[in-house]
Amino acid sequence: MTRTVLIVDDSLTVRMDLAEAFEAAGFRPLLCASIREARDALAAAPTIDLVILDVLLPDGDGVQLLEEIRTATATRDLPILMLSNEADVKNRIRGLKMGADDYVGKPYDAGYVVARARELLRQRLPEEESILAEKVTILVIDDSITSREELKTALERSGYDVITAASGEQGLRLASAHRPAALIVDGVMPGMDGAGVIRRLRLDAALRGLPCLLLTASEEQGAELTALDAGADAFVRKEEDMDVILARFAAMLRTAGTAPGAASSLSSPKRILAVDDSMTYLQALASALRDEGYDVVLAHSGEEAIEMLAVQNVDCILMDLLMPGIGGQETCRRIKASPTLRNTPLIMLTAVENRQALIEGLGTGADDYVAKSNEFDVLRARIQAQMRRKQFEDENRRIRDQLLHSELEAAEARAARELAEAKAALVEELKYKNRELEAFSYSVSHDLRAPLRSIDGFSQALIEDWGDRLDENARNYLHRIRAAAQRMAALIDDMLLLSRISRAEVNRERVDLTSLAKVVAEELKQQNPERVVAVQIERGLIVNADPGLLRVLLDNLLGNAWKFTARTADARVELRTQTQGEDTVFVVNDNGAGFDMEHAGVLFQPFQRLHDAADFPGTGIGLATVQRVVDHHGGRIWAEGKPGAGATVFFTIPHSRGARQ
Amino acid sequence: MKRNNIILLVEDNADDVELTLRAFRSSKVLNEIVVVSDGVEALDYLFATGSHAGRDRKLLPEVVLLDLKLPKIGGLEVLKRMRADERTRRIPVVVLTSSNEERDILSSYDLGANSFVRKPVDFAQFADAARQLGMYWLVTNQPAGM
Repeated sequence: MTRTVLIVDDSLTVRMDLAEAFEAAGFRPLLCASIREARDALAAAPTIDLVILDVLLPDGDGVQLLEEIRTATATRDLPILMLSNEADVKNRIRGLKMGADDYVGKPYDAGYVVARARELLRQRLPEEESILAEKVTILVIDDSITSREELKTALERSGYDVITAASGEQGLRLASAHRPAALIVDGVMPGMDGAGVIRRLRLDAALRGLPCLLLTASEEQGAELTALDAGADAFVRKEEDMDVILARFAAMLRTAGTAPGAASSLSSPKRILAVDDSMTYLQALASALRDEGYDVVLAHSGEEAIEMLAVQNVDCILMDLLMPGIGGQETCRRIKASPTLRNTPLIMLTAVENRQALIEGLGTGADDYVAKSNEFDVLRARIQAQMRRKQFEDENRRIRDQLLHSELEAAEARAARELAEAKAALVEELKYKNRELEAFSYSVSHDLRAPLRSIDGFSQALIEDWGDRLDENARNYLHRIRAAAQRMAALIDDMLLLSRISRAEVNRERVDLTSLAKVVAEELKQQNPERVVAVQIERGLIVNADPGLLRVLLDNLLGNAWKFTARTADARVELRTQTQGEDTVFVVNDNGAGFDMEHAGVLFQPFQRLHDAADFPGTGIGLATVQRVVDHHGGRIWAEGKPGAGATVFFTIPHSRGARQ
Repeated sequence: MKRNNIILLVEDNADDVELTLRAFRSSKVLNEIVVVSDGVEALDYLFATGSHAGRDRKLLPEVVLLDLKLPKIGGLEVLKRMRADERTRRIPVVVLTSSNEERDILSSYDLGANSFVRKPVDFAQFADAARQLGMYWLVTNQPAGM
């Protein structure tokens, strides 16, 4: 995948230099000399992946263009690397405040700019994608161009991408910039040798997992020991056949199972903030550190340093002790007081060995203390040590966080599992209870009725066959036996119905309540053809409800109204609706026996009867059943009455509320 | 395959047997009524096996009145086996049961029952049902294959 990088700089030299570097790294550079050109390029090429932006441009301010890019929806998330004069601290702060992702000072190192650009793009990509997007890249480090090229050719023929370095130092930088999948390093090199490279890699959290193959020289005694001691995964004698080297290498890759680390690399470009009021010293320091591959940010005072730190993260701070303004100690104290900055290593610099200053400096939180000199070796070593310390701390923190996180996840998973298990057990128990209840009511309906049939049947047989031989009293008793048996049968049926309805699922559909009520009324008339009852049913009553359950409801409510008007002359039964707020309330009204409102509370409880069974026979289960039906539909039910003045039952059937299971 | 006027009553409750016979008598149903008290015996009778091995297997009942709750082999199973056998496939079966559980009614019809009668507690109703049964299956209904 070729990435496009837009380079905006008025200097032709800079443009050409960067274009060459980016092209070599596999990018497609797009060059602009002014803001106007850059605007056109951005409008014309929507697939730009990254912008390198100078601040001082002939037709305006680079920060202005930056603002335009950040405010336009299409380009809001575009990675932007500002490139401008190192000494111009204000521009750096402005750029970063406006939302630049990074800032590199001029004079710059083209390789470094490319490395930062890669890093920015890598951060944008999800980790998986960045692994997939890259081919397997092998880094070869060898000081001999002949063997370097020989290895490169052989590896490329085997399908690898190869990058090469001529020295250990260069190799380390490439390793952190490119994150190769494996490394082949020559054991014998001037400067840092192969074992040294591997040792350095093993110290770096992000690169320590990199599989390393060390090429050893045969004449050297104990080379293998050195190689393994340094942490090489495999070694091979340099004069071996190329096929042997490749085979050994492939075997190592197979066993290593490498994955580029997520941790930012110790050797990846590190940024150092150098704070000193002496421009001369700053320049010398910056130049020395830049040669080491560091990005150096400058600040001329403690105030400027703090302002800079607000917009730019750095990996290490070098702070002059004696400066005008708030001075080194106070700056250090303020930095160490900030929760986001206190972990950044801070090294105090002073012109003189001053025991008191040293103690005070360290007392304010500085991590180290170095005497200023133009020999930067000691400083470099201290910086390296401080960064390594921070890297270890960061890594420890990350491991601790990961551990905590995985513990938390395990606890959550455990809790979820337990909850699911408990729920499953409950559901299972409920199902079991339901099955038990069903089996019970099935037995009841079969077995409890059978003896009643015998009682009723043989009583009837006695009346039929021997009725003329029995006196009135005996016949009366037989009739009572039969009535009791039938009453018990009715009780059993009503109880079973109540229990069935309590367990019933509600299957809603469009129900024509008017028609259903007419059917029920017609059946009542047929059962009692001698009764004259004026039945009034409102027309066009439509509900969304379970038709079977509604049938049970109407059977009971209209049946009750019918029954309790048995002793009323001019009996009247009515089904209608009325509106109450937003609800439609259904009303079943009669002018029958009515009831005392004092007892309204028990009306809907099973087996509660408000009338003498001799006057109005019944099981006392009907209204309880009706209430369950209404309940199942999410509705309400209540009643009003007056002894001798009729009863009215009100209920609602909300349109679509989910039924209770 | 011959049919005679036999009614096969499959019923384990002696009281129900007595009351059913009484209801038929009072309804003037004069057919011979063979009573068996469990599912196994019902099948033995129908296929002339086991305790009914000596029977003329060609004589098949006009109608079977089948209780669902039976010892050994249940009524639904008896019905299933009857419907699976060529000899008994077309004999009308009236299911008699105490319950009016919907699933009993549905499974009975699913398995090929011709009618479903709930035994009422009220004897008068029962006699009525028996009378209707007799009228329908023994008089009105032309048995298949005749």
